[in-house]
Amino acid sequence: MIKIKDLEKYYKTEELQTIALNKLSFEVKQGEFIAVMGPSGCGKSTLLNILGMLDDSDGGSFIFNGEEVINYNERKRANIRKHNIGFVFQSFNLIDQLTVFENVELPLIYTGVKKAERKKKVHEVLEKMQIMHRRKHFPQQLSGGQQQRVAVARAVVNDPKLILADEPTGNLDSSNGNEVMELLTELNNQGATIIMVTHSEHDAKYSHRIIRMLDGQKVTENSLI
Amino acid sequence: MIKNYFKIAWRNLIKNKGLSFINLSGLALGMAVVILIGLWIYDEVTFNQNHENYDRIAHVLMNKTSSNGDKRTRFTMPFPLGNELRDKYGDNFDYVVMSSFHGDNIISIDNKSLTKLGGFMEPDALRMLSLRMIYGDWDGLKNPNSVVISQSTSKALFGDINPIGKPLKISNLLDVFVTGVYQDIPFNATFNNLEFIAPWELYVTSHSWVRYARDNNFWDNNSYQLYVQIADGRNMKLVNAKIKDAVYDNLSGNSKKSHPELVLHPMKDWHLRSDWKNGVNVGGFIQYVWLFGIIGLFVLLLACINFMNLSTAQSEKRAKEVGVLKSIGSSKKQLINQFLSESFLVVVLAFILAISIVFLAIPSFNQLADKQIVFPYKNILFWLINIGFVIVTSLLAGSYPAFYLSSFRPVKVLKGGFKAGKSATSFRKTLVVVQFAVSVMLVIGTIVVKKQINHSKNRPIGYEQEGLVMIGKVTEDYEGKYNVLRSELLNTGAIENMSESSSPLTDVWSSGGGFEWQGKDPNFLTNIVTVCVSHDYGKTVGWNIAKGRDFSRTFSTDSTAFILNEAAVKYMGIKDPIGKTIRWNNQDHKVIGVVKNILTESPFQPVKQAVYMIKYDNTNWIELKLNPSKSASESLAAIKTVFNKHAPNVPFEYQFVDETFAEKFIAEERIRKLSTIFSFFAIFISCLGLFGLASFIVEQRTKEIGIRKVVGASVFNLWKLLSKDFITLVILATIIAIPLAYYGVNNWLDNYEYRTEVSWWVFVTVGIGAIVVTLTTVSFQAIKAANTNPIKSLKTE
Repeated sequence: MIKIKDLEKYYKTEELQTIALNKLSFEVKQGEFIAVMGPSGCGKSTLLNILGMLDDSDGGSFIFNGEEVINYNERKRANIRKHNIGFVFQSFNLIDQLTVFENVELPLIYTGVKKAERKKKVHEVLEKMQIMHRRKHFPQQLSGGQQQRVAVARAVVNDPKLILADEPTGNLDSSNGNEVMELLTELNNQGATIIMVTHSEHDAKYSHRIIRMLDGQKVTENSLI
Repeated sequence: MIKNYFKIAWRNLIKNKGLSFINLSGLALGMAVVILIGLWIYDEVTFNQNHENYDRIAHVLMNKTSSNGDKRTRFTMPFPLGNELRDKYGDNFDYVVMSSFHGDNIISIDNKSLTKLGGFMEPDALRMLSLRMIYGDWDGLKNPNSVVISQSTSKALFGDINPIGKPLKISNLLDVFVTGVYQDIPFNATFNNLEFIAPWELYVTSHSWVRYARDNNFWDNNSYQLYVQIADGRNMKLVNAKIKDAVYDNLSGNSKKSHPELVLHPMKDWHLRSDWKNGVNVGGFIQYVWLFGIIGLFVLLLACINFMNLSTAQSEKRAKEVGVLKSIGSSKKQLINQFLSESFLVVVLAFILAISIVFLAIPSFNQLADKQIVFPYKNILFWLINIGFVIVTSLLAGSYPAFYLSSFRPVKVLKGGFKAGKSATSFRKTLVVVQFAVSVMLVIGTIVVKKQINHSKNRPIGYEQEGLVMIGKVTEDYEGKYNVLRSELLNTGAIENMSESSSPLTDVWSSGGGFEWQGKDPNFLTNIVTVCVSHDYGKTVGWNIAKGRDFSRTFSTDSTAFILNEAAVKYMGIKDPIGKTIRWNNQDHKVIGVVKNILTESPFQPVKQAVYMIKYDNTNWIELKLNPSKSASESLAAIKTVFNKHAPNVPFEYQFVDETFAEKFIAEERIRKLSTIFSFFAIFISCLGLFGLASFIVEQRTKEIGIRKVVGASVFNLWKLLSKDFITLVILATIIAIPLAYYGVNNWLDNYEYRTEVSWWVFVTVGIGAIVVTLTTVSFQAIKAANTNPIKSLKTE
C-alpha cells in the first residue's frame, strides 16, 4: 500500500540546515499495523506528515496505492487525503465551536456526502465508539478519553484505508489509553492500515511491526508477529 | 528603562514589517486627514476675522412679504436709510456706511488701464473695516475726489512708489487722486477682492438717478447696500429690534403692502450662514463645516480603533512574551509602560508621516477647496495642539492593548492555553459594522451629489452656449456705437451675430412689479424679471421661439412689444398670450411671442418668469456669436482690433458664456470633490479595520482551519467559511446605512428645487461595491490562512 524510498526532508533556517529525514525507505502492506518509535527530534512526526500528504518531501519516492505522489500538487494530495486517510492526534484537535456530531460530520461534508447519508454514517460510527449519548456536547464537556474517541470517530467516518496516529494516547491516562489502543486494534482487524507514532513501548506492542528511528534514519525494524 | 522600552518597541516594529506598515500608514493617513480638515475648519470659522470689529459689523438686509405671504430677504436698501439710522438711532451705531454694489470698473492712469473690483462707500468704511493703511490714513475718503486702493493695485499701477496724490480715472470718467493704500484684504474675507474704494459722495454726484434719490428723499427705490457697526456694549439683536421698521415707517400707500422689515446680518455669519428662507436665517455652508468636522473626528477614531485592533490581533503572539516577562519579575506597570511606549513610538512615526503628507497635500487641497491655507509651521499653538493630539492618540490607541495584554496570566499563556475572549471579537465586529456603515453612507452621498450636478447640468438651458461670448459694457465708451460695432464686426467675419442686453446671460439684473393684464387678480403683487435686448438678441443667443415670433426690425411696433418666457405665461395664467396686451409703466405692450425658458440663474432652481423687450439705451452687455468656421483665438483677435478702435481706453475683456455658466456649479463640485476624497479615505480606513479583524479572526481560528484542512477542507471551502462572516457584517452595515443615507441625501436635495431622484440603483450599486471590497480585503487573509500548512498550526500545541 505504501512504498517509500530514499525519502529526504530538510528544515532550513538562515544559518543552518537540519536533516529531518535522511534517505528513509520502507514498505507498508495493506492491513498492517505499524508503530514508529524513536527519541524526540528523530523525524517521526515529519514522516507522519509526509505520509499524510500534509507536507512536502525534499527528495526520494513515495508510492501510495501504486501511484507516485511525490510530485503531486496541493489540490491532488488533498483529494487523495480526504478519501483515503484519517488522522488521530495526541491533542485530539477537535473544533471547540462544533458539537461532537458536527466534528465527526466534517470530513463527510468536505467529501460531498448527502445530508441524510451523513447522519446515518455519523450515528453508526458514534455507536461504534460508544459516545452516541454525547453527540450534542461540545468537546470541552468531555473527558480526554471521550475526546480521543470522538477524534478517532472523525478519523474513520469516511472509511479511510489508512489511519495515521500521532501519539494517540499521549494525553490520556493508562485506562483511557488502553481503550483507545483497543479501538485502533479493532479498526485494524476490520481492515484499516494503521501507522502510529508513539513513545510508549506498551502501545507499540499492539502493532505488528515496530520501526525504530534515529536522526532521520531507520535503525531497526522488528516484527511482532 | 525607557530606552529599553523603546528598543523592544522598535524591534517589534521591524519584526512585523507588513503589519507595522499597515498600522503606521493607516494611522498616518487618518491623522493627515484630521489635520487637513482641522486647518480647513479653522480657515472657515475665522472668515472675516481680519476686521478688528468683525463681531460688531452687520450687513443691513430687508425682508419683504409677497402677496402669498412668503418672505423674501433682499440686500438692497433705499437711499435715505443711511441718514435715517444716523439721525434717529445714532447712539446704537459707531458707523453707518452706505455703499454701492461692488463691481468691475476700469481704473486708469496716463497709459495704463486695469479692470478692478471696487465700490463707492461712505468715509467711515475704512474705520469700520479696520483696513491696514500702508500710505494715508482712515480719513482718506473725506475728499469727494479721492480714492483708496489696495496694495496690489497700487503696485500694478504705480510700481513700488508712494502713490499718494497721484491722479487716477475711474470708468474713464471720474477724476480722482489717491489718498490711501491699504494692505490687500486676506483671502478668507468677504471683501477679499475689493481693490479700490471711492467716496460715496462721488457716486451720488456722478449718477443722475442717485442724485435724484437724494434730492427727493426717495424711499421707494432700493438700489444700495448698507453696512453698520453697532456701538460697543450694544446687543445686535436689540438694536435690530429697534430699527426693524425704519423703512416701513417712511413708506406710504401701496409701498407699505410688502411690509419691509430690516434684518441685521452679523459679519461673523456672512460666510457660513448666508441662506435665508422665508425671512429667517437657515444656515448655509456651516452645515458642511459640521459635516466635514464630524467626518474628520470619525476618521481619526476609526484610525485609532484600527490601530488598537491590529495590535490586539497580535495578542496571542505577544501573550507568550508577556508570560515570560512576568515570570522573570516584570510588574504589570512595567508591561503597561512597555506597550504604551510601543504605541507612542508608532503614533509619533505616524505623526511625522502625517505632517509630511499634509505638507505635500496642501497645494492640491487648496486648489480643490478653493482656499489659500498655508502650512502653519510658525504657529506655536498649532504645534502645541498637535503634541496634545499625539499624546491623546497614543493613549487612545495604545491603552486598550496595553491594559489588555498586560493582564494576561503568565501560567496560562505559557502553557499555550490562552484564547482571546468572545467579547473581544464582538467588539471588533461592531466596529467594522460602524466603519462600513459610515463608508456606505459617504459613498451614497457622493454619488447623489454627482447625480444632482449631472441632472442640473443636463437640463435644457434654452439657448446655444457654443461660441457665445459676453462683453460687459463697463464704461460709457460703448454708448451709441451698437450699429457701427455690429457692422464692423460682421465685416471681419469673426462673428455670426451680435446683440446687446441689460442682463448677462448668466444672471438676472432686474425685476419689477406693476404688470397688469386682463383677468389678473387685482391683489396679486407681480414680480417679473425684465430683460432689455436689441433686435438681434434671439438669433445671437439662439433662443427657441415656442409660439408667435421673434422681434423684427420690419415691425416698428415691436419697440413696445413683449416676448414672454414660458414661465411667465404660466405665472400670469394667460391662455393664448399671442396678441394679448400687458400694461406696464403706464404703457400697453403687445405680446408677440413666447420663448422656451432661458436658464440664467441657479441651475438648481426653476427658471423665473421673464419678459423681454426692445430697448437700446439700457443695455449693459454685448453678446457675440463667434463664427464656428474660424478658430476662437483668431476671431477674438479680430474682435479686439475693432473694440480697441472704438473704445481705445477700455481694456478688451470678455468671457465665454459656457465658462461663466460652469461657475454656477463650483460650490456643488467642491462638495463633490471633498466628499469623494473623504469617501475614499473612509473606505480605505474601513478596509484596514476589516483587514485587522480578518487577521485577528484568522489568528484565533488557526487551529480550527488546520483541523478542517486535515479532515479534507479545500482552500475554497475555507475561503467561504472565513468570508461568510464578513459578508454578513457588511450586509448588516449596508442595511443600517441605507435608510440613514436616504434620509440624509433627501434632506440635502431639499435645498434644491430642481433636483434629481434618489434612485434604487444607487443603493444596490454601493451595496454590491461594499461586498466586493470586503471580499477582496478578506480574501487576502482567508486564502493565506487556507494555504498555510496545517501541521504548523497543529504543532503549536
